[in-house]
Amino acid sequence: MNQLRSLFLMIASFFFLSWFGIVIYSYIHLGHLRSVAGTDGLLPPEYNGSAVRGAHVYAVNGCMTCHTQQIRQLDVTHADIDRKWGERPSVPLDYLRDRTAFLGNIRIGPDLSNIGMRLTDPMKLYQHLYEPAQMVEGSIMPSYRYLFHLQKIQGEPSAYAIVLVGPHAPQLGYEIVPTRDVQDLVAYLLSLKHNYTFPEESHTAP
Amino acid sequence: MNQETTFSPAQASNNLSNELLLNSSLCLELDCALNIPMFFLLRSSFFNFGLGLFLLLICSIKLVFPTFCDGMSFLTYGRLFPVAYDFLIYGWAIPLGFALVLWFTSRFSQAVFTHTRVLVAAAHLWNAAVFLGSLAVLAGYGTSVPFLEYPNWASFLLLVSFLLMGVWVIFLIKQSTCRTLYVSQWYFLTFVCSFPWMYGTANMLLTWGKIQGSAQAPIQAWYGGSLVELCFTPVALGIIYYIIPKISGVKIYSYYLALCGFVSLLFLGGWSGLSLLVGAPIPAWMMSAGVVANTLISVSMLAVVVNFYYMLQESKKIIIQQSPALHFVAAGIIFYVIATFLSLLNTFPGFNALLNFTDYVSASLIVSLLGFFGMTLFAGVYYIIPRLTGISWFSSVMIRWHFWLSIIGISVMISSMVLGGIIEGAALNDSEITFTNILSYAQPWRFLISISWLILIVGFACFIRLLVMMRWQMIKEKLPMPQ
Ligand code: HEC
Repeated sequence: MNQLRSLFLMIASFFFLSWFGIVIYSYIHLGHLRSVAGTDGLLPPEYNGSAVRGAHVYAVNGCMTCHTQQIRQLDVTHADIDRKWGERPSVPLDYLRDRTAFLGNIRIGPDLSNIGMRLTDPMKLYQHLYEPAQMVEGSIMPSYRYLFHLQKIQGEPSAYAIVLVGPHAPQLGYEIVPTRDVQDLVAYLLSLKHNYTFPEESHTAP
Repeated sequence: MNQETTFSPAQASNNLSNELLLNSSLCLELDCALNIPMFFLLRSSFFNFGLGLFLLLICSIKLVFPTFCDGMSFLTYGRLFPVAYDFLIYGWAIPLGFALVLWFTSRFSQAVFTHTRVLVAAAHLWNAAVFLGSLAVLAGYGTSVPFLEYPNWASFLLLVSFLLMGVWVIFLIKQSTCRTLYVSQWYFLTFVCSFPWMYGTANMLLTWGKIQGSAQAPIQAWYGGSLVELCFTPVALGIIYYIIPKISGVKIYSYYLALCGFVSLLFLGGWSGLSLLVGAPIPAWMMSAGVVANTLISVSMLAVVVNFYYMLQESKKIIIQQSPALHFVAAGIIFYVIATFLSLLNTFPGFNALLNFTDYVSASLIVSLLGFFGMTLFAGVYYIIPRLTGISWFSSVMIRWHFWLSIIGISVMISSMVLGGIIEGAALNDSEITFTNILSYAQPWRFLISISWLILIVGFACFIRLLVMMRWQMIKEKLPMPQ
């Protein structure tokens, strides 16, 4: 069975090459990057607790299947920056705080890596998640109204109630309030802004 | 031992002709031993294939009519879409590929398989993991890592059950009475060895334990690329190298080409995934490595396809016309060329700037998963089912429907994805055009994509109908029933 052994060795060694080159290299170099000192605090900034939970909500609801979070390098294309999706191309350090890096591979919707700079009003985001087609005509983004809660208005309307106009708006006497999940999600979206640059040497490839 | 003697042409061809001379009673014995696991794997993978296609149809409708079944957490696009793909990959492609690999390996080794219980148990475990894992993703426990969405326990079960199944392939090869290994076996061994390795590594770094976010992109891409190039492609090529010579009786045209094709695929396969990251935030050398690997891999594809082309040229036309398996093989080879070409185009930065992140990206995946791998798997199925059941296919009309509907479905789908992708890409590059306008340009193409999922489902239904007819026949003739 010498032949089986040499075939096995061949497969293993070739597989090892790419495994070592990509996986182990990434693990050693990209997997141990350090945050750098910026003018006010560390870069990239820490997420707060709500945003960390929001990233989890983003993951389990599969926003990544339609939205990317990466601005492409300038030697490939300027289109992302021309569209005002970001001010600079993404670098590995941008993902330092992410438990899962939602780079994504298809853009059925716009890139979200800087959504916190484009949409700063939480109410707009809540409305968008509840009834996207009402907010943007022709939107094909699914409604996430299962992340909201319908309740009877008791006395004064809640300060958190969402202003809605579409077919799923609540009846008179009822109101829609965000659940904890969607509050976290919006906190996460608002924290997505890469409006800082790293010192040059910290992100050039070793 | 050096390569020359290890894979000498004379020896290698010996093995296949040995196998050609197997007497029929031994064949029967070999097949009987594998009947139970084979039927279980085939049945469950067909079920999962149907389910996966159906879910993808729903997803594609949701992109055209977003209010279709909306507002329900477990049917939301972002959960349903990964589950549908996982059904195709882990529910259909890998178990069905494994079943064929096992069956062909047992034919090669001429060893009777005796450990059916363990194998069937492992196959059940695999299936349970796929189902429960998918339910968990729908219930909101997915990981959102592309192709690795299952929660930790499910992916762990998948790995364990694959190891329990895969080890029997190596066991069978070791038991072989022939001293030499045929080309198909090289490829099959590649699949069996590399899947657990990459699935284990990728899960270890991306889902079970989480490596820093900055390092995840290359590993995700490596897993995606290796899944196609080191799992699906080897199984498909192994099946083609088996089926063409067996059915048409021709020899492999050139063993050196076969060897080159094999070694270069092994060498480049793992790197090719990086080409998905052109423009992404990764070190520049990785991007270039991906581009180079993906360019060279098309040369490796040519070596293999030239070989197949001459083999098909040599075989008698009448045999090709009469064999459903060869039809599917030929279609698979053509889709292989198209798949390689599509992913090659997307690696050149100029085209990539236009095409990346549009529906074009899905076209590359669909054409290799359903076009190349899928058609070849069905070739294998058309080849072995008559041998497993002992009765031949009796409705050539249904086979033809299955064949042509699959071809039409896949072709319409990839052409609309490519054309739609080019239009979306051109529009995305013009910052004057608003995003909602881009959505409206993409709409007609996405509608066509829904139609083509429907065509694929109808084609597959023809195949299921064929199986049901065969089962009827067996009941009528009181043949021993497969489990
Ligand atoms: C079916 C694909 C799809 C899914 C899944 C999806 N979106 Fe969207 N999203 C879109 C599309 C298309 C648009 C563009 C039209 C619009 O603004 O509504 C969009 C737009 C957005 C916008 C506004 C972007 C801008 O630049 O104005 C935000 C914010 C957003 N999505 C967040 C999310 C979040 C959060 C999730 C997950 C909970 C999600 N999306 C899931 C398709 C999707």
